[in-house]
Amino acid sequence: MDETRATNRGFGRVLVVIYALFAIAATARSVVQLSTKFSEAPVAYLLSALAATIYIVATVALARGNRSSRRVALAAISIELAGVLIVGTLSLAFPTNFPHASVWSSFGSGYGYIPLVLPVVGLWWLRRTWPQNTPE
Amino acid sequence: MTGAFADLLITAGVLVGLWSLVQLVVNRPLGRALRLGVWCLEALIAVFLIGGIVQMMTTDHDFAKLEFVGYLLGMLAIPLAALWWTRTDATRAGTAIIMVIGLVTSILVLRVQHVWAGPHG
Repeated sequence: MDETRATNRGFGRVLVVIYALFAIAATARSVVQLSTKFSEAPVAYLLSALAATIYIVATVALARGNRSSRRVALAAISIELAGVLIVGTLSLAFPTNFPHASVWSSFGSGYGYIPLVLPVVGLWWLRRTWPQNTPE
Repeated sequence: MTGAFADLLITAGVLVGLWSLVQLVVNRPLGRALRLGVWCLEALIAVFLIGGIVQMMTTDHDFAKLEFVGYLLGMLAIPLAALWWTRTDATRAGTAIIMVIGLVTSILVLRVQHVWAGPHG
């Protein structure tokens, strides 16, 4: 593989670390929520678990950086962006339906809006490092 | 958890972050001195973890103990994982990673203090 285009080199190494931190944070949060108070807000807590899963998949895929994992990373980060936009919009439009926060609530305001910025940066990085002449 | 040692750890994390930022600006890859700085930060975190667990075991204070220990263990693991991830890195990316880790450590100390304060804190 061309090292200069790997997703896990240069800035990609930093991106992997940020995704890993979010994977840890979201996983820990969802484990606590699901194990101790699932019945209070099942939708919000299942969304937290979904977010955690997506962060884990994106972290591993970006860290591996081969051709197949690029596609996995693209899918995971696209779902992440859709998730933060949909959940963020719904949580602001219908706050009574989202009484308990998830990572993506209010576009990730609880995490300094990093959940909103991160998938945009991730997609930019994938586009920047995507092989130009990869035979299918 | 809210005493001088926590403040020292927050300051150490910010200093590692700022030191990394300076190294990043002057285009330096991750060097031995900065790695040593991370190991010093790790030693402070280890003391913070032991102190936190001792305080937790000797108090009747009501707070989320599992979450508290989870944060302390996470704080200990994150710099080690970062050192491992940057072990072969000869670029500025390693320096940027240490900058992130320093700042995250400070934020985590604040989060640990929040958990320690409990639901009525």
